[in-house]
Amino acid sequence: MKKSFIFPILFMALITAFFTAILAFLNYSTADVIAFNQETELRRTLLYVFNIETPSQESKVVEEVFNKYISEEAINEKKVYIAKEDENIIGYAFPIVGTGLWGTVEGFAAISEDFSELLGIDFVSHSETPGLGGRISEDWFKEQFRGLKLTEENGGNYIIYKPSPGGNVDAIAGATLTSKSVSNFMNQDIYRFIKENKGGR
Amino acid sequence: MAGDSPKKIFILGLWKDNPVFRQIIGICSALAVTNLMLNSLIMGLGLIFVTAFSELTISIIRTITPKHIRMMVQVLIISVFVIIVDIFLKAYYPEMSKALGPYVGLIITNCIIMGRCEAYAQKNPPLSSFLDGIASGAGYTLVLLTIAFVRELLGFGTIFGVKVLGDWWTNWTIMIMPPGAFFVLAVVIWIARSISSEDKEKEKEAVKA
Repeated sequence: MKKSFIFPILFMALITAFFTAILAFLNYSTADVIAFNQETELRRTLLYVFNIETPSQESKVVEEVFNKYISEEAINEKKVYIAKEDENIIGYAFPIVGTGLWGTVEGFAAISEDFSELLGIDFVSHSETPGLGGRISEDWFKEQFRGLKLTEENGGNYIIYKPSPGGNVDAIAGATLTSKSVSNFMNQDIYRFIKENKGGR
Repeated sequence: MAGDSPKKIFILGLWKDNPVFRQIIGICSALAVTNLMLNSLIMGLGLIFVTAFSELTISIIRTITPKHIRMMVQVLIISVFVIIVDIFLKAYYPEMSKALGPYVGLIITNCIIMGRCEAYAQKNPPLSSFLDGIASGAGYTLVLLTIAFVRELLGFGTIFGVKVLGDWWTNWTIMIMPPGAFFVLAVVIWIARSISSEDKEKEKEAVKA
């Protein structure tokens, strides 16, 4: 029997079907939980970039606070998140994206209603080296961008690393290339966003 | 075929036949994830789980698996368990899954699992195989934690993210980068091999392989 031609094929087909069925079931039964987790993650990120405090990190609480302050709108066919407090607009959040050292870095940046100030940034996904470039998602790095002035005169060069003249944030030691590309694409994306939307509203 | 005693399995897995410094397998991931102790610990736990259950499953079906397609079957089973770990973390520990996203996928390419399945689970009864998986995984985890301890301490001045060295400490950035891993791994293998200098012949075999 085991020496036959057909047995290995049959065996493989059976065992593949069996294990795939287990995985399919597991995937099906957790799909909703995972989707909800990802949604919560996005909400947390947006609340973070707008610097809105949540009483706790519980997903239900996060959802409530998020719905209270932030709404989603399409401006120029692009998704933009708008934070409001009592009908007064606090600011806008938009996706920022670019290539890091090893792969694509994705995140969000929020700027104030009058386009003059960076409210905050956060990264959603990246594949930089853990402990080196990966430290872009650590708080000390992200917190530096809060309240950064976005003035017209330096031509879209908002983020400058110390100790260059006019420097306003610290780069990550040992991760020069990641730091550099992060500031590059953020400068570009923020500049583009301001150009496209200022005056339009 | 009677199984080995649990004591013997654990001595082999943790020390005499330790996958990393005796068999020199699984070092690719030992180099990659050891700059933080937490990462190493989770990687180790994931590996213990996957190795143990893959060996168990393979051992159960070893008598009916046609010999010439056994590797295909092994790879299939290993990937199933890795995906289970991945889904489980995503659903119930999203924070951890976010921090370790790429590492979980890395488990699949770990030579230790394949090596143990091929060398042990193919020939031994299910319970021994299961224990062997735990022992080998634990041996790997211990080495990883040792390397990570040195690297995190010298590189960040922290252990499991807790600051232990004061502000006077200058971080050795090289310890966080890949070269640091090579240095520390080499030192660990050197020390471990000097301590267990018995069994010279076996050592030569391992080097040849």
